[in-house]
Amino acid sequence: MNIGELLGSDRVHCTAEVSSKKRALEMLGEMLSTRLPKLTTGEIFDSLLARERLGSTGLGHGVAIPHGRLEGADEACAALLRLDRGVDYDAPDSEPVDILFALVVPTESSEEHLQILAVLARMFSDPETLARLRDAGSTREILDLLGRWSTGDGD
Amino acid sequence: MELTNQIILLGSAVLLASVLSSVITRRLGVPLLLVFLVLGMLLGEEGPGGIQFQDVQMAHLFGSLALAIILFDGGMRTPFSSFRVGLRPALGLATLGVVITAGVTGAFAAWWLGLDWLMGFLLGAIVGSTDAAAVFSLLHARGLALKQRVGATLEIESGSNDPMAIFLTLVLVEVLVDGGGHMGFTVLWEFLRQIGLGAVLGLAGGTGLRWLINRLDMPQGLYPLAAMAGGLTVFGLTAVLGGSGFLAIYLAGLLLGNRPLQASQYINRFHDGIARLAQIGMFLMLGLLVTPSELLPVAVDALLIAAVLILVARPLAVWLCLLPFKFPWREQVFVGWVGLRGAVPIILALFPLLAGIPQGEMLFNIVFFVVLISLLVQGWTITPLARWLGLELPPASQVVQRVELDIPGQQELELVGYQLAENSPVVREHWTGFTLPRSVRVVAHLRDKVLLDTLDMLDLRAGDYLYLLAPPQDLPALDRLFVAVEAPERLSDRSFFGAFVLNGGARMADLSMAYGLEVPPEARDLTLDDFMRRALNTQPVVGDRLQLNGVELVVREVSGDRITRVGLKFTRG
Repeated sequence: MNIGELLGSDRVHCTAEVSSKKRALEMLGEMLSTRLPKLTTGEIFDSLLARERLGSTGLGHGVAIPHGRLEGADEACAALLRLDRGVDYDAPDSEPVDILFALVVPTESSEEHLQILAVLARMFSDPETLARLRDAGSTREILDLLGRWSTGDGD
Repeated sequence: MELTNQIILLGSAVLLASVLSSVITRRLGVPLLLVFLVLGMLLGEEGPGGIQFQDVQMAHLFGSLALAIILFDGGMRTPFSSFRVGLRPALGLATLGVVITAGVTGAFAAWWLGLDWLMGFLLGAIVGSTDAAAVFSLLHARGLALKQRVGATLEIESGSNDPMAIFLTLVLVEVLVDGGGHMGFTVLWEFLRQIGLGAVLGLAGGTGLRWLINRLDMPQGLYPLAAMAGGLTVFGLTAVLGGSGFLAIYLAGLLLGNRPLQASQYINRFHDGIARLAQIGMFLMLGLLVTPSELLPVAVDALLIAAVLILVARPLAVWLCLLPFKFPWREQVFVGWVGLRGAVPIILALFPLLAGIPQGEMLFNIVFFVVLISLLVQGWTITPLARWLGLELPPASQVVQRVELDIPGQQELELVGYQLAENSPVVREHWTGFTLPRSVRVVAHLRDKVLLDTLDMLDLRAGDYLYLLAPPQDLPALDRLFVAVEAPERLSDRSFFGAFVLNGGARMADLSMAYGLEVPPEARDLTLDDFMRRALNTQPVVGDRLQLNGVELVVREVSGDRITRVGLKFTRG
């Protein structure tokens, strides 16, 4: 599974001002609901928030990967939010988060879920990828960059 | 006149050579203490040095002194938090463990050498204790961070097991000299006096010494001397009264190092140096004392005894003593292997010589050889073994320059300096959105030797110097921002603990929901903390891990007895 395919150009946003972690998760919920017709923004948001209660999904170094398993999601799908100013995210290194990558998967695909998360964790721990993501001028550039990463098996 | 100057020249040249050799040996991984010992032998009567040194009395005096100083420094460096997980297993090892090791080794030695049983046990007792100098020099070596349960147990064991070995040796020497007239209660009483007086006087002395130092007003250079003199006074007083001076000075150091103390950074720095000097001096001297050609006749015997000690006696003792504490097998193997023998056995082997026991000479040579083998075989393999058994932890702090500020009556503050590199996280990831911990202040930002006017740090480049004022507990956070990760990939935080951090209070049912994990029904209502502690079945320490279909849970933070943060690592993909 290719990370670029998970995203799609309408679900990548670079934006100036987001006031809080909650607001950022709401925005991601809105972006994801365009692709998941059976689900409302609220349901997606609730799922992401429920996962945050188990422990922040911040990885450190300004990156977070909020994620959730949802009944009614037809396929794995993702959204990316890049902020000019980071929001407080309760991350393990206490640093504000300026790159958020949200992932939603159907309940039945837990194996795939873990695989994608593993790739995302590897991808966002690569300093070069982070630097280029922060410098990228367009949605296209970001999609190209993340399209180079994919889970091992399948396409 | 002429002789004095020659002695000074020779002594300082040897010391300089010893210090410099530590630089080379660290690269080669050779145990440092072994180098000093061999250097001493080379300088001695049969080496190129040709120095005659056979004064057993003096060797005993300086050996004991050096050992006391090393234990004092070791005590000061052992944090109280180590005791939470390390104390009880270590106490078992330091008492019963020494007896078992001594018994098994002694029985074999008596049988193999055809010695009297008591002589055999004397030999066992002499080599029975794990050496504090060797273990401390190993555990405090740069670049090896061990899981707390293992590190703490070994540290406390080696710091507190010398009294037991010394006691066994003294009693056996006495019995051999007097013909064993008074056994039974007298021996028990002697034992209780050694331990009891050592513990009481050590704790009282440490408290008193701290009180004294905190009330003194004198030039800063004198505080470390006051601490050392005080510590050695505690040692001497306890020993004169018939208690264990070694236990006393270790405990005194422990109290001094773990409570707020005036001028503590001067005291620590001084004792770091003086303890190293003591190690170098002691091993050089013991190398001088031995006559290498006399080692050869006992080589085979010593080799066999060392093999029994290392491969049978010590692992058996460790296994039996750790039985109640349910250490994972990897950690048991490691503790069993790190039964390093060092200076204590050699110094103890002087006792029979001083007491005039007929076979004392042979005993000394065997013991010396056993120590050589132990340092060589065990000392050389410990770091690779720790790696192989997966007992290493990610290194904690890598600050470039730090100056502790001793502001009277203030919280602790340090001035820390970082030089940014091409691969510092803030530079490499083009990361401008970071924030500093709340109590950290930027003091200076230099580029090309020039102080910059702004301190907002929006433009950080490789080669810049940053100076910050920070409390010590914030240093790890700063390191994560400014220091390039040099730890090998397997020890980077992410590959060790996994990408995500979970709260210890998270419910297992929720965790199972979020990741589709199979959790046994009876565990669903437990918190992650409860679940992991039940499954681990021992006191949790950072780095303990648990497999759960497709993910690995790694203990990341422990507070008291509870697991507060757990790393979530994906094992596939």
